[in-house]
Amino acid sequence: MSVVRRFSVGRVTMWLVLLAGAAVSIFPFYWMLNGMTLNPNDVLKGVLVPGRELALNWEKANRNYNLPLFFMNSLKIALLTVVFGVVINALAAFVFEKYRSRARERVFGVLLLTLIIPQIAIVIPMFKLFAYFKLLNTHAAIILPAVMSVFIIFFMRQNFRLFPTEIMEAARVDGASELSIFVRIVAPSMRASFASAAIYIFINQWNVYLWPLMTILTDAKKTLPIAMSSMMSAYTIEYGALMIIVCVSTLPVLVMFLTMQKQFVAGLMGSVK
Amino acid sequence: MAQRGRHERYLNRFGWFCVAPSMVLFCLFMLYPIVSSLYYVTRKWKGMTDTFIGLGNFVRMANDKIFQAAVGHNFLFMFIQVPVMIFLALLLAVFLNQSIRRFRGPLRLAIFLPSITSLVVVSVLFRVLLQTNGFLNNVMLDAHLITTPIGWLNDAFWTKVTIMLAMTWRWTGYNMVFFLVGLQSLDRQIFEAAEVDGASKARQFFTITVPLLVPIILFSAVTSTSGTMQLFDEPNILTWQGGPSNATMTAALYIFRQAFVVNSDFGYATSMSYVVVLISGVFAFIQLRLLGGERVKK
Repeated sequence: MSVVRRFSVGRVTMWLVLLAGAAVSIFPFYWMLNGMTLNPNDVLKGVLVPGRELALNWEKANRNYNLPLFFMNSLKIALLTVVFGVVINALAAFVFEKYRSRARERVFGVLLLTLIIPQIAIVIPMFKLFAYFKLLNTHAAIILPAVMSVFIIFFMRQNFRLFPTEIMEAARVDGASELSIFVRIVAPSMRASFASAAIYIFINQWNVYLWPLMTILTDAKKTLPIAMSSMMSAYTIEYGALMIIVCVSTLPVLVMFLTMQKQFVAGLMGSVK
Repeated sequence: MAQRGRHERYLNRFGWFCVAPSMVLFCLFMLYPIVSSLYYVTRKWKGMTDTFIGLGNFVRMANDKIFQAAVGHNFLFMFIQVPVMIFLALLLAVFLNQSIRRFRGPLRLAIFLPSITSLVVVSVLFRVLLQTNGFLNNVMLDAHLITTPIGWLNDAFWTKVTIMLAMTWRWTGYNMVFFLVGLQSLDRQIFEAAEVDGASKARQFFTITVPLLVPIILFSAVTSTSGTMQLFDEPNILTWQGGPSNATMTAALYIFRQAFVVNSDFGYATSMSYVVVLISGVFAFIQLRLLGGERVKK
């Protein structure tokens, strides 16, 4: 009898903890969606029922803060980085795994060592470098340093390991060139890991904050995170419009997560801030 | 034979050709900054000109109370927030693993959801939720949990709690997913045997689950530690430039402010980042040693 009782008390605790965890996790999402419809005072007070100012907030976000421009800037930076990043890192990872040489293994070892270097340690000399090339306040300054990613090379290399080398040999015998082996045979069968890498790069660039905060100087070049950050430092904060921008910058990632959960989680697993 | 050698050389050339683009970028944006910072460390900037000061930057650091406090805050967050978060993540993972299959998916999805938000969004959300006359204080006042509003964003003690709350909200579900994967790879029979022997669920948790998950827990600890050493977005936005009066100043934020906001001394800022690299390196080394030792034992 007592066993059954203890068991059920345990079950109840378990469900309470799980439900509380889920509620706390989801609540801010509901709150920010609902915040889009409220006037600034109600956002602050945390009114939980929808208000009537959605259209007004939307207009403010577009007119006062140029939301479409910030959105397009963020999108352009993230997509270009994904395109260059996936191609360049995948090629390198492919070669590191399937065309091994002692020299390249050593290079790979050096790459891995730099994984522990915090970003703050390299941004200052990098800032000087971009200043020297007169590339400050450009989107190229945000894209270029993010294209090559040691983590993505490492991640893709792990995945290429699963691709049977015999198939490459067979294609070689049939007269296929090395590049076409990669493009026509290896790449198509590894779509899932390409997707994970793309998602990882996209999210990192969509959310990047420290480096653009240093290099972006004018409103016209701002990305969504920089726009939000400067809204927060304004004397009066337009909370309704702020909630719109918060939602707009979360939505693409949410959609990606819900449609490609498996690749998303795989990609995120290595995203060590 | 000669044919074969030529083919090998061709493959090797193809190899270097393919890694070349990433090597160029690596040299420009990783190697060059690392090497050139050796020069920065020995200089002091005044306006546009810089002069050689040897180890002067490190002497200055030894007397810089704010920098020391900032590193102290990084340690504080690391030693309190990381263990609490890992325990929470572990607890949620174990509970989720035992819950009814039908509810497992939706619950996991819900608890993981905070991990998709950017740190800037987290900071903005928490800064609005935690205003003195804001949502959380109002709820707690209404429930008679507190009699006066808590200064989440303007009290030296509570701002630290605020930062840790935001970090915990953002990262618990993320770590939980790692633990869930680990749990699913464990053999059910161990738990059934423990059940037969009459071990309570709590005892099973501490004597079976936790020891078996040690490698994954350590992995989480390594990544969370390195993240905490780089804490920047939250103190800059959530508690507004490391405020109140540097109560939530972190090393990364202080370095940034020294280089770009307060007095553009790139030399001093770079020197401080050297110390941060060193600290991160030491922690990574210790934790990886633990991780490696565990592997050997298994």
